[in-house]
Amino acid sequence: MKNKKTYIKDINRTIYDIKDKDNSIYKSQKGLTPEIIKEISSKKNEPKWMLDFRLKSLNIYNSKPMPEWAVDLSDLDMDDITTYIKPNTKQSHSWEDVPEEIKDTFERLGLPEAERKSLAGVGAQYDSEVVYHNIRKELVDQGIIYMDMDKALHEHEEIVKEYFMKLITPDDHKFAALHGAVWSGGSFVYVPKGVDVDIPLQSYFRLNAPGAGQFEHTLIIVEKGAKLHFIEGCSAPQYKVNNLHAGCVELFIKEDATLRYSTIENWSRNMYNLNTKRAIVEKNGTIEWVSGSFGSKVSMLYPMSILAGEGARSEFTGITFASKGQHLDTGTKVVHAAPRTTSTVNSKSISKNGGYAFYRGLLKVTKGAYDCKSTVSCESLMLDNDSKSDTLPIIVLNNDNIDIGHEAKIGRISDEAIFYLMSRGIDEQEAKAMIVRGFVEPITKELPLEYAIELNNLINIELEGTIG
Amino acid sequence: MTSWKRIGLKDFEFPKIVKYNKKYLSFEEGAKKEVSLNMVTDITSLPSPKIEDNFTGVGTEFILNVKKNYNAGIDLHIPKDLKIKEPIRLDFYLDEKNNHLVDFNNIYAKENSEITIVIDYKSIDNVEGFHNGFTNIFAEKGSVVNIIKLQRLNSKTLNFDSNFSRVESEAKVNFVSIELGSKLTGFNYTSILEEEKSYSNLSSIYLGDKEMKLDLEYTMIHKGIRSQSNIETRGALLDNARKVFRGNLDFKRGSRSSKGVELENVLLLSPTSKSDSIPALLCEEDNVEGEHAVSAGQIDKSKLFYIMSRGLSEKEAKKLIVESSFKPIIDKIPFEDLRSEINIDIERRLIHG
Amino acid sequence: MGEHFFNINNLKVNIDDKEILKGVNLEVGKGETHIIMGPNGSGKSTLAYTLMGHPLYKVTNGEINLEGESLKDLSADKRAIKGMFLSFQYPEEVDGVTVEEFLRTAKTKTWGEMQRILPFKKLLKEKMEALEMDESYATRYLNLGFSGGEKKKNEILQMSILEPKIAILDETDSGLDVDAIRIVAQGVKKFKDKERSIVVITHYNKLLEYLAPDYIHILMDGKIIKTGGMELAKEIDENGYEEIRKKYLK
Repeated sequence: MKNKKTYIKDINRTIYDIKDKDNSIYKSQKGLTPEIIKEISSKKNEPKWMLDFRLKSLNIYNSKPMPEWAVDLSDLDMDDITTYIKPNTKQSHSWEDVPEEIKDTFERLGLPEAERKSLAGVGAQYDSEVVYHNIRKELVDQGIIYMDMDKALHEHEEIVKEYFMKLITPDDHKFAALHGAVWSGGSFVYVPKGVDVDIPLQSYFRLNAPGAGQFEHTLIIVEKGAKLHFIEGCSAPQYKVNNLHAGCVELFIKEDATLRYSTIENWSRNMYNLNTKRAIVEKNGTIEWVSGSFGSKVSMLYPMSILAGEGARSEFTGITFASKGQHLDTGTKVVHAAPRTTSTVNSKSISKNGGYAFYRGLLKVTKGAYDCKSTVSCESLMLDNDSKSDTLPIIVLNNDNIDIGHEAKIGRISDEAIFYLMSRGIDEQEAKAMIVRGFVEPITKELPLEYAIELNNLINIELEGTIG
Repeated sequence: MTSWKRIGLKDFEFPKIVKYNKKYLSFEEGAKKEVSLNMVTDITSLPSPKIEDNFTGVGTEFILNVKKNYNAGIDLHIPKDLKIKEPIRLDFYLDEKNNHLVDFNNIYAKENSEITIVIDYKSIDNVEGFHNGFTNIFAEKGSVVNIIKLQRLNSKTLNFDSNFSRVESEAKVNFVSIELGSKLTGFNYTSILEEEKSYSNLSSIYLGDKEMKLDLEYTMIHKGIRSQSNIETRGALLDNARKVFRGNLDFKRGSRSSKGVELENVLLLSPTSKSDSIPALLCEEDNVEGEHAVSAGQIDKSKLFYIMSRGLSEKEAKKLIVESSFKPIIDKIPFEDLRSEINIDIERRLIHG
Repeated sequence: MGEHFFNINNLKVNIDDKEILKGVNLEVGKGETHIIMGPNGSGKSTLAYTLMGHPLYKVTNGEINLEGESLKDLSADKRAIKGMFLSFQYPEEVDGVTVEEFLRTAKTKTWGEMQRILPFKKLLKEKMEALEMDESYATRYLNLGFSGGEKKKNEILQMSILEPKIAILDETDSGLDVDAIRIVAQGVKKFKDKERSIVVITHYNKLLEYLAPDYIHILMDGKIIKTGGMELAKEIDENGYEEIRKKYLK
């Protein structure tokens, strides 16, 4: 225990920046052609409908313009991104079988720790294929399916076919189309009716090869009355070439079911994180998002909740931390499409050192969705004067029987609060860090301990020597 | 052709503007001598500081339309240190013969002067009308400009109004906008808080009913240090009325120790009304305080019940609540006849509409 | 007045180029209790903030010494480590930071030794009980949503945990009801011993009867114009500050 503590205390940015030697056996050509798509599909030995779906998506991808309404993507050379890299390893079921180099990287990220602490199962994505996957036996016995997407496509083809990219279709936007064409890996979770998974399932993604894109697909189905907490962590080391992440997360929450989906995204500072996440919630179901965005060069990330069934509920808790060279355009969308649905949004952002944090939100209440309630709160903290912070919520109301409240605030750390903490013997930097940690506390308290610690460490790393 | 997606203006084309021949200015002759007050005849030769080029108002084409086709308006200059207590009143009444109004108003308050202007836009018959206006305000150091705009055009009239103010050090511009009429309204108010302790305030109310469409945008751009802005909007929507509110607080780098507050409160009184709110907060300066809040929904049921328990009907109770929400802003109009006309109008629409 | 445990010499302080303190002299011996009284605007809170090192209060002249060491150029945290404590008149609210986490960090810093979680929890619980504070306050965010009385109790709680050498209580009794005053006064009394000194800044004498001070000082127009014993408090109570001004100021 004591050992672990020291280990976490000593954590620094460089541990996220360790590069393994690039020894992949296969790399697709740069740029995208139908031939590449066919090659990917055949290597994976996919059913024909999936190949057709990929090719259709490729067409849509080629026909759609780059989105220009939010962030600058002009530096992103789509032809330059190798879309598929297969690590030189086979799927392993026990930790011992994972190659040393990869294991070492995970070890530095603290993953085996989590495993040792008997967490439900770890699915760690290393580049495009999941290299390590383990699920505790009692979960299997309850009928829970947790495996990587490629495997699920073969073993549970019918379920995958029913749900895959039905919530986020390739027509949605250019990067959803790209995802449809080249997706690879990711997690598949199926929780049968009435099953309460009382320990969180975890998955860790990591990009390793320079210039590699990551297009993992996460598909989670929580059946009637079932309950699940899924945790996804993302991290990538630093490279000179711009990397792209265009994953998709599709969450289906059935009647009376609950899903909590927690993510800490800490991509390297050259990453374009253009991720699409969406949940559809049926009658009296609940989706809870906990979302932390730290790394990446550019992020466009707006997890969306569609409250489709009467009494459905969504809760979004998010923190965005934009530092030097980062433009993080994040937020959330909520669509109240049924009566008596409720939503809560609690978003916080911090910008410093020239970072640009942009909150973009949508709250929509459809015509027949009466008796809905929504509370939105956005708070932005600016740590210096080189940074920028914008808030742009869009509230669209199409009926009157609703109760909507929205609040936003922007500002900096109060000098009086710093003085108060200092008067108790805490130095200025620590006082500021304490206030920042307090600011993000609503997020940290929602996370499992290891993630909360990681989050606090990230904040400490971010604040080190840059304020005061 | 112009189309606005959010409010549903489709394929709009400017009409060919006809002359506006009605008298619209009433101001005591004695006071008139002290200020320079002229009907606008030639925009290009206005002696006042030049019009902000970057200002696009409700749309570049609308500003351009005013500059080319204006048929009414005033050019008003208040000399240094002169404080005019009596308000200037402009009554723009649209009727069958004068159904196009394109007004350009230039208000230039010199150092430490003070002025109040009330502009009333009203249809006096049921003819289809068109209004497109541009009001340009320049408030020099220490001056105070109070401007109250009242819009009561009929439900066949299209209404576009662009307003701009530049506020210098310790000057105050208080803008009141009361939107009660029109078929469709596009309204923009943009204020630049240019210098130290510039102060800019926007209070507005709107009442939408029938098929009325309102697109209201208010922007406060903080440049000066210790500048202060306020946006406060209250509205009520009935029937199929549709409204878009855009409030922008923009803190530019250098506007340290500034403060901006933006509030919108909308009462939704019909299941078929539509309300969009986009309150933006833009910030590139850390040492500022900015906040916005939007609340939307029906009238609080327990409040309604309480009033009804004292013998009022539901409609009367709702009217009372809407009126009490509007009252502080209506009370800012310095003319009794206008206040009472507005109150009667609101009552008619809430009780008999 | 003893062995020069704590002294202030000819202290002059400006806020925004305006002189508020115009030469304050004060000597406090180990274990002594001093009361500084004065009307509103006399510079009492300025003195309190200056002693703690608030950056807006500029010392233009004079010295502040604790145990022979000058505090004048030290930041607030360094002063706290040297043993100085200020009970704020208006304690700040800090969202997301729990009372317990905050105090454990503060104790670690001021005492220079890591505070282990369990023994610290025990200590905190004990001290809270003594102040009749509900245990739940430990996990609440620092002063957030606390009533005026709760905030003041929380200040005294911090004092009793951090155990400074000298505590300055700035209007700690204002805004408190009778019960709260009694509890706070007991807290202060417990804190008081031969080693620790207390300076109470107040414009009433509510706390006085509980504390049995050694000295009473009257601060007016930025200077201490009179020093005496309990009889001074009585005089203020009976005659008011205007009479005192006439009598002692020049």
